[in-house]
Amino acid sequence: MLVVVVVVALGVGASGGGPPLTVAQRVDAIDALVRCPSCDGISVADSSASTAVAIRHVVTTRVRQGQSASQIDTFLVSRYGPSILLRPPVQGWTVWVWVLPPVALVVALAGLVTVLWRRRRHRAPAPVSAEDRALVADALAGRARAVAGPTAAVPAP
Amino acid sequence: MNAALGHSGVLLSLAASVMGVVVIAYGLARSRPALARTGRIYAALVLLGAIVATVAMERALITHDFSLAFVAANNSRSTPLLYTITGMWSALAGSILLWGLILAGYIAAMVWRFRRQGADPLVAWATLVTLVVAAFFFGLMAGPADPFRTVAGAVPANGLGPNVLLQDNALVAFHPPILYLGFVGFTIPFAFAIASLITGRIGEGWQLATRRWTLFAWAFLTVGIVLGAWWSYQVLGWGGFWAWDPVENASFLPWLCATAYLHSVLVQERRGLLRVWNLSLVIATFSLTILGTFLTRSGVIASVHAFSDSDIGPLLLGFFGVVMATGVGLIAWRGDRLRSPGGIDSVLSREGAFLVNNLLFVAFAFVVLLGTVFPLLYEAFRGQQVTVGAPYFNAMTLPIGLALLLLMSIGPALPWRKTTTSTLRDRLAVPAWVGAIVIVACVAGGVRGLGPLVAFGLGGFAAAANVRQLVLSARGAHRSGAGVWRGLVGRANGGMVVHLGVVVIAVALAAATSFGHRSEVTLRPGQVASSDGHRITFEGLTQIRTPARTATEAIVLVDGRGPLLPALSQFGANTEEVGTPAIDSSLEDDVYLTVDALPVKANGPVTIGVTVQPLVVWLWGGGLLLVLGSALAAVPGKRRRPTDPVSAPVPAVETGDGSSGSGDATGASRPVLRRARPVVESGESGESGDDKPAQEPVPAGSP
Amino acid sequence: MVASDDAGPGVTTRRRHTARWVAGVALVVGAALVALLATSPPQTVTEVDTPLVGQSAPAISGPTLAGGSFALGSLRGRWTVVNFFASWCAPCQQEQPDLVAFAYAHRSPGDAALVGVVFDDASSTARSFMRSTGATWPAVVDAGGQIALDYGVRGPPETFIVSPEGTVVAHFDGPMTNASLDYWLNRAQGGRG
Repeated sequence: MLVVVVVVALGVGASGGGPPLTVAQRVDAIDALVRCPSCDGISVADSSASTAVAIRHVVTTRVRQGQSASQIDTFLVSRYGPSILLRPPVQGWTVWVWVLPPVALVVALAGLVTVLWRRRRHRAPAPVSAEDRALVADALAGRARAVAGPTAAVPAP
Repeated sequence: MNAALGHSGVLLSLAASVMGVVVIAYGLARSRPALARTGRIYAALVLLGAIVATVAMERALITHDFSLAFVAANNSRSTPLLYTITGMWSALAGSILLWGLILAGYIAAMVWRFRRQGADPLVAWATLVTLVVAAFFFGLMAGPADPFRTVAGAVPANGLGPNVLLQDNALVAFHPPILYLGFVGFTIPFAFAIASLITGRIGEGWQLATRRWTLFAWAFLTVGIVLGAWWSYQVLGWGGFWAWDPVENASFLPWLCATAYLHSVLVQERRGLLRVWNLSLVIATFSLTILGTFLTRSGVIASVHAFSDSDIGPLLLGFFGVVMATGVGLIAWRGDRLRSPGGIDSVLSREGAFLVNNLLFVAFAFVVLLGTVFPLLYEAFRGQQVTVGAPYFNAMTLPIGLALLLLMSIGPALPWRKTTTSTLRDRLAVPAWVGAIVIVACVAGGVRGLGPLVAFGLGGFAAAANVRQLVLSARGAHRSGAGVWRGLVGRANGGMVVHLGVVVIAVALAAATSFGHRSEVTLRPGQVASSDGHRITFEGLTQIRTPARTATEAIVLVDGRGPLLPALSQFGANTEEVGTPAIDSSLEDDVYLTVDALPVKANGPVTIGVTVQPLVVWLWGGGLLLVLGSALAAVPGKRRRPTDPVSAPVPAVETGDGSSGSGDATGASRPVLRRARPVVESGESGESGDDKPAQEPVPAGSP
Repeated sequence: MVASDDAGPGVTTRRRHTARWVAGVALVVGAALVALLATSPPQTVTEVDTPLVGQSAPAISGPTLAGGSFALGSLRGRWTVVNFFASWCAPCQQEQPDLVAFAYAHRSPGDAALVGVVFDDASSTARSFMRSTGATWPAVVDAGGQIALDYGVRGPPETFIVSPEGTVVAHFDGPMTNASLDYWLNRAQGGRG
């Protein structure tokens, strides 16, 4: 029931495509992925540096001319090099930066599962002696002092 | 005079730390505990030297003693007093001095705290390790990063003043010291981890004894990072608060490891598991603080934080290498022999949840590290430059963040050892519905976008789940007569409040980044423009001229409120002009104003940048919750006795089908659990002062 | 619960070396990271490998600080050094004397020409900067930063060497010296046989 409600709500919420994007919105979307060349790591959309303003101007002009985002990106790369784009391209050697984290996650998960599985199978239950039972009963019955052992040597946290 | 005083302070600390290392090592090698205990004296001397040096530096700054090169480069006669004092850490050499001072303070505190066990080889080893770290940093100050270097040639009449961006906001007085209290604080748990590995005594409670130190350092690091984001927002003029800048990432990496550690150490405390893993996390955290220090100071990666032109880069990198090699080497040597017996019974348990938590945090750290270092890798191998910017980090960390939100909802409701889905369903039904209602309400309110909606829904779920824990805990405390407040303090309950803070921040991040919008308005004096639902009125320009700052301010009203004064400012003389923003905050959204272009002709139009971002104030509110939660967590709860049951007792189950929370792993016959009084499910057994009903003995197999 | 690390009598445990393996991997990765960071030099003057090298130089035309106008095409047939600068940029101030010396050394007609482009600076301050440093070469005003964009300039000082046919042959980021300019110019000239 709950799941149905959530899925329906998300479906409605996610499908709000809305009216086609205006020029300003398209420009913003492109600007957000272009690095401001004279700043440290922020996008052209966020910066008021002269280089950012110049790029925004050029992007606006080209969007008005009807160029697509990838055409504009290609133009900017032809001037500044591939490092002008904030998102490393998903091709060539830079694909590794996109692929490695999910792969690493899967490997780690698999490793964890394997280790746990093996340990569970190899771990035999510790045999319980009558002595142990008496000890536990003692401790529980009167909340007696804890059995001697490593946990007793703990300095007060 | 100041130089001599400073130098003597630094040399005193350096000599004391080196002597301390030698004497303690000798005492340990010859098994002479009395010698090992003298580490205390050396720690005190290190602190004394650090204080002397700091006093000398501040004195030089306040009296504008330009015979010191550092003062000449970072202070001027027109610098206000506040920024004069904070000038000590506004550049490289002084920041190392701050690090040394805080480190000396921590070492002295550690030695004081464990003074009764000073003869214990483990404490001696820990002191030795901290003194080695101190020797390194004071050694840096004695040589390559000397803050008390005198000017070559004539003493200048006036200095250059601090970096202009560091004179804009009083936060510069708080962000670096708090951040350092966090970074440096991890040295102590690291020292104990190394000491435990060397002595082989990792089954004892030393790591748990230092857990409070880790929490303390973590709290300060968290606050430091939040303050950094706030400062960036207030000062830098781009309207954002986190740019995935390499230096920001460098401070975030140890935070991620420390957070993972704070969770998994609970498993060690409760079940004695994951001991070696926890040691690894502590070592990784400390190593990452050194790596972060290196990245900030070496100029290897360009960043808005970078202290450039320094020679200490290679030394820091070398130290990082040594720390890593030592830690990893010790783990390789000892790790397998010291592994805990016992294991995880079921993934659907709190242990399982903590394991997944750690996996997610380590994945998070891996993504951040990879993204930060990848441009270097790519340039080294391909010779070309590539940028890994915010879009990459946002895209990669979003799923991890959402998964963590989900885990935050489920985890606290999971019992230890194992449970069933029906138990979980009962406990989480209400929070889940809260989450669903949040999504429906948002969609009804016009919010669109799958990512933010999922984030809001999970946020509602997590908030409700954590509030539920707090309510149960408070109720339990009240019923047992200890007072409602008892149910709100202590490690577990403080943790719930911290989780609430994280939820608030996550929701705010989702809102601000998904629905933020930047635009520009060009206005003549007296004109009004409308931008994203706000009325922007430009009234006129004024010129400000104070000794510290010359600025052209635009007087702006937002929705009739104001005046707000975004400006183009120049701090001191002959410095670069920087944009100083003005912000109109409300609970709903922030209107962030910058002066983008001044009029070319007099009385011409001015261009004002307007960035509207929803829920930004919630970020800082969430930060406050984090602080509150950490403070609550530091209050000592009722200490759990070793014989207290592991999890809340559940109704007697005659059939023994193992669906109780405290089931055991053996196939032996299960005794019937009888309740002496009604069961109250408390937030964390034994922590909230709840009295446990008497139980029949259970077979040994649960600790 | 017994305190020893063994599971107890009657139970065999295979000694696992998980920690050792993981530690080994961590050590290798850590060493690689250290090696990488150790060999990455901090950013100073570098010859930048940007896409413009080998392409024809984008047009530079516009008013100069002195009041006339300038077009890059007028220097076709000569080696040209294009220097983007600003008065507020410290490395530009640092390289200016060297540029003056270079201009003087190559002052004969037909020799290498020097052209400046103002980067994000007010004309008045740029002009007084040029005057006070004794710079005599034309400096073009870059309205709206379009010339800088066409050349892919991130921040001053950046310098380009353009061949007589109008092809960009080199791009430098950072302050130049007279000696390095001569060196690169000779290299570019020599490389063409």
